[in-house]
Amino acid sequence: MSESTYRAAVIGLGRMGSTFDDEIKQGGQFFMPYCHAPTYAASPHTELVAGADPHAEQGAIFAERWGLEDRQIYADYREMLEAERPDFVSMCTTARLRAAIMIDAINAGVKAIWAEKPFTLSLAEADEVIELAASKGVAIAVNCSRRYNVFFTEARRMVEEGDLGELLQITAYTQCNLSSNGSHAIDTMCYLVGGDVEWVFGEMESDEKADADEDLMGNGYMAFDNGVRGFLRGTPTGAAPWEFDLIGTEGRVRSLAQGMETQYYRWVPGGPRGRNLPARAPFPLPTTVPAMGPAVIEDLVQCIDSGAPPRCSDEDGRKALEIAIAMRESHRQGGRRIDLPLPDRSLRLLSSEIAQDAVPARIRRLKGRWP
Amino acid sequence: MYRAAVIGLGRMGSTFDDEITSGGAIFLPYCHAPSYVASPFTELVAGADLHAEQGAIFADRWGLDKEHIYSDYREMLTAERPDIVSICTTARYRAAIIENAIHAGVKAIWAEKPLTLSLAEADAIIELSARNGVAIAVNCSRRHSPFLTEARRMAQSGELGEILQITAYTECYISHNGSHAIDTMRYLVDGDVEWVFGEMASDEEAAGEEDLQGNGYLAFDNGVRGFIRAMPTGIAPWEFDLIGTEGRVRSLSNGAETQYYRWVPGGLRDEGLPARAPFPLPLSIQGTGLSVISDLVNAIETGSDPRCSAEDGRKALEIAIAMRESHRQGGLRVDLPVADRSLRILSVEIGGDAVPARVRRLQQEPVVA
Repeated sequence: MSESTYRAAVIGLGRMGSTFDDEIKQGGQFFMPYCHAPTYAASPHTELVAGADPHAEQGAIFAERWGLEDRQIYADYREMLEAERPDFVSMCTTARLRAAIMIDAINAGVKAIWAEKPFTLSLAEADEVIELAASKGVAIAVNCSRRYNVFFTEARRMVEEGDLGELLQITAYTQCNLSSNGSHAIDTMCYLVGGDVEWVFGEMESDEKADADEDLMGNGYMAFDNGVRGFLRGTPTGAAPWEFDLIGTEGRVRSLAQGMETQYYRWVPGGPRGRNLPARAPFPLPTTVPAMGPAVIEDLVQCIDSGAPPRCSDEDGRKALEIAIAMRESHRQGGRRIDLPLPDRSLRLLSSEIAQDAVPARIRRLKGRWP
Repeated sequence: MYRAAVIGLGRMGSTFDDEITSGGAIFLPYCHAPSYVASPFTELVAGADLHAEQGAIFADRWGLDKEHIYSDYREMLTAERPDIVSICTTARYRAAIIENAIHAGVKAIWAEKPLTLSLAEADAIIELSARNGVAIAVNCSRRHSPFLTEARRMAQSGELGEILQITAYTECYISHNGSHAIDTMRYLVDGDVEWVFGEMASDEEAAGEEDLQGNGYLAFDNGVRGFIRAMPTGIAPWEFDLIGTEGRVRSLSNGAETQYYRWVPGGLRDEGLPARAPFPLPLSIQGTGLSVISDLVNAIETGSDPRCSAEDGRKALEIAIAMRESHRQGGLRVDLPVADRSLRILSVEIGGDAVPARVRRLQQEPVVA
């Protein structure tokens, strides 16, 4: 591991860049620090050196909150990249500009990028960013943060060690728009399953929404290359908010209520006709619980040193987007199984977070206009 | 008292209850003969089976004289004139026997599942029974489970809010025990399936007519969406999950446990938390078979439809066939009703049916795991 401290900067000084952690009152889904600025401030590997945002108010709050001088706050991120020469840069702007900013950051010589989700709006943008990052040796971690959450990493470890037997099924009840928070839902399914999706079937919330490029809710059936099958309900889930259910021949892990509870089941003797019963056992916690943001940094530092891909890589971000788009294509084509990869790279999904992005999300939220 | 007779004196007709050692999925009496013996509405008067050994065991077990055991069910129908007849033979002959029973003048039929092998057979039976005023109950017995009837009552009374999703993890062949799984989904959702998507265990199996495993996505006419995994389910054996905006009922471990969740204050951003509450039991629980008989007697006396009617049996079969059609057509959404009525699924239980299932089981060669 490198001995040096990396210079880190944040582009987009709103909720995820700066103040998101203040909204969270309970652990489980998140362990603090989680979002970008507090993580750079806390990590032993990084020093927070600058921020950039076109909205002056956001910059002022950021400077005060994280102890930066006014001169370290920039309205133009390109100017910041040139003046501050950061090693790490976080992409916390609206997704509308994500691809363009990443391309500029890579060309400006950053070593690593920590990008908010969704990774990009179109497949073509994702392709371009991935190709450029590979050619320049820049590590990109997409903030599908459940890959850094102890309950999910432990579930993944149980899979890898065979504790769950052969994996059969992943079910997600995750009310969301398929690009915005669907990025999280789909990526978590892929992470837990440890496989790639070969084909999907999808039903969107309406024909009209499926025909357009705007973000939308929908359900999908996914066929993974390792034989696992997935069912995702992104349409309203009522009394089952944000749930992942990973089922194997020998064991099962269920993450419930937005990650606030995690259950583990394995077989015990008994049952009708002596066929055994699934019984709940304590979920095995590891000896330490990593804070999520610093775990991302730790991961990226290792990537810089070793050239390995991050745990949630740009490739993973593209896959989540491609699966969501394929589910929509399935609906568009009248309810048909769609094979991946998709040949038409111009397809895109306008993540719902870019709506009204002329006003910062933090301000929209304060005004109660956040959905 | 209604005169009751059983056709097919094997496991479900006679001795199935002996295999059951814990309640939950079913409560005894459950299968046909013990239910007729226990019900205050019926008297068990006769049985029919091609296999003499089955008849002898049946007579001995249920205290019938040998003269009331027939090798030819048509002879039995003529001689005994039963009011209610159970059809517990292999599914291969179910449609033909039901037709003969209707022609012989029975008032009601309690049929094992699947109702028939083909859609055309189901159509013919339903038409004939309607014309003759014969009530047919299909033994998709979860409709008589106190837990699932209570779950449906909760859904209908609004306690679960708007129903959104039904998920079933039910490893099975989609005609054989899939009849149960699909019917239970329909029962809980209280809607009809408009279209399905399905993936079968393999292209080869999807192309054939033999019973098979598969998964499906079901679109109900009341907006509910269903997912059924009938491929292997590992550590999630026979589970139903009914999710509404306000509450949720999960039936687990083949009915051995039922959970109820509803919102309580709290949560990550005070958005509320789903919390488990005691599942409300009804005031009385009767044997599953007794509930079927009460229901059939009510159907005879009032003309009402049985809780699991022949129509319901046809719908379960049609949904299974449509799921297979979806796979056959390369993964296409398939609308119901299915146009081609000649389509059929050869329920796995008819495999090896030259030897009675009870005997096969004793020989430890079950057709179905």
